[in-house]
Amino acid sequence: MTAGIPSPVIQPGAEPFLFRRGRTGCLLVHGFTAAPQEVLRLGAHLGNHGYTALGVRLAGHGTSVHDLSRTRWPDWLASAQDGYDELRGMCDRVVLLGMSMGGLLSVLLAAGQPPAGLVLMSTPITLLRSPLRRWLQPLSLIVPRIPKGPPDWFDPTAAVERVAYPAYPTRAAAEVQGLITRARAALPQVKVPTLVIHSLNDTFVVPANAEILMAELGTSDKRLLLVEGSNHLVTLDAARQTVFDAAHAFVRRVAGPPR
Amino acid sequence: MSVILPRGEAFVYPGGPVGCLVVHGFTGAPAEMRWFGQQLAKAGYSVVGVRLFAHATRPEDMFRARPQDWVASVEDGYHLLRGLSDHVVVMGLSLGGILSLHFASRRPVRGVVAMSVPYVLMAPWRRRLRPVFPALSKVMPFFDKGAPDWFDPHVADDHLEYPRHPVRAVASLIDVHADMLRRLPLITAPVLMMSSHGDATAPPWHSQTIFDRLTTADKQLLLFERGGHVITRDVERQRVADAAAGFVRRVTGWPKSPAPAGRRR
Repeated sequence: MTAGIPSPVIQPGAEPFLFRRGRTGCLLVHGFTAAPQEVLRLGAHLGNHGYTALGVRLAGHGTSVHDLSRTRWPDWLASAQDGYDELRGMCDRVVLLGMSMGGLLSVLLAAGQPPAGLVLMSTPITLLRSPLRRWLQPLSLIVPRIPKGPPDWFDPTAAVERVAYPAYPTRAAAEVQGLITRARAALPQVKVPTLVIHSLNDTFVVPANAEILMAELGTSDKRLLLVEGSNHLVTLDAARQTVFDAAHAFVRRVAGPPR
Repeated sequence: MSVILPRGEAFVYPGGPVGCLVVHGFTGAPAEMRWFGQQLAKAGYSVVGVRLFAHATRPEDMFRARPQDWVASVEDGYHLLRGLSDHVVVMGLSLGGILSLHFASRRPVRGVVAMSVPYVLMAPWRRRLRPVFPALSKVMPFFDKGAPDWFDPHVADDHLEYPRHPVRAVASLIDVHADMLRRLPLITAPVLMMSSHGDATAPPWHSQTIFDRLTTADKQLLLFERGGHVITRDVERQRVADAAAGFVRRVTGWPKSPAPAGRRR
């Protein structure tokens, strides 16, 4: 098995990124089965406006789906914190921006070490409705992967760039459920300005999740932006420019102009 | 909440157009490379100190670590460092040195600094048990570490590492180490190796053997009389850091003249 280390291990296009600009930093955290590519354009947008932007690669992501099966949610949180620690070596203020599961990780980071602000995009906060939820872990021994649903892009060209695993590892999906439980419990401890972004057309993580986030976040400075004409992947699909502009305006409001 | 042990965090020191990618050792943490990284930053270099997968969290996390996870951690650091600098020199201690040599065999880097790198990881009879380590790990999850070999008791006091070797991770260590040895002839970048006579884990003959196998045209081996395995923190740390900075300057030609003190941003 020693000859089996791929070269490179990280798939081309799935690499973490850093745009170094001013002393205000943005940490961008991608979602489950995805890669930094999911937030690369958002990071470039913030970089173009003078903010340092760092997109972490979560453990088990952007390599092989088998690696993801082996990881647990604390591994993903540790990866996100690595990015936070690295960014703080370059910046005085940091805003956390999480996409989907990356939002859950950002909530846990924000509850521990408060950032200047928090952006939660397409973030799930309710557990799977299916009775299957409790059985995901044992099920993973028989069914190692769950196929993804049919594509639902408003902008099919965005699908071309997308870097993600074609299926959900069942064992890791069980970890996401554990992560949701912990992040939801941490919501009242979030005391920093927060922007919640969700697509009304998100059929994967329905907009009701955003309503719960808004209700349970511990901060009084919280805003909800609902966009239209996008699937779950608001940083990639047709409404992305609206999302980029809103994220930039929020960063500017809570952390000031770039320095 | 924090899943990373206090002082176990990855670090970044932004600096000039030449970057140093700094990698810690097996069961260690970025903490053992931080002072070393700061010296390179003072010399004007951009520095990224990665945290290897499953390190500086909980020892049990190491049960799930495979060679590709650690190689990916180094690749992560490389891509971030490329956001700060145009040229990269990769450097590491022990497993970090193994991974640095491994990385240099696959990627264009301007140089490699490999410190306290082992040639033989354990007694041959024990290494031959590698195939049963994954099963053994279920009943005996940890091996005890050998006696510490510090020369400087002050730094030994606050050293951050897992107290024992996770057996399953030792199997991964054996695998990546074997792959590195096989790949040595592929390295074409300049290499600096450093080792100390007091090292109980990887004494100088280990570095000497690896050094002899290197086919790159530009290679150097530096041996220190005093100091243990963690030479980036032990008594010769200043000479070790100075040698690394001098090597980076020689192989990259940057900066043209040494940076004045306090240049670090």
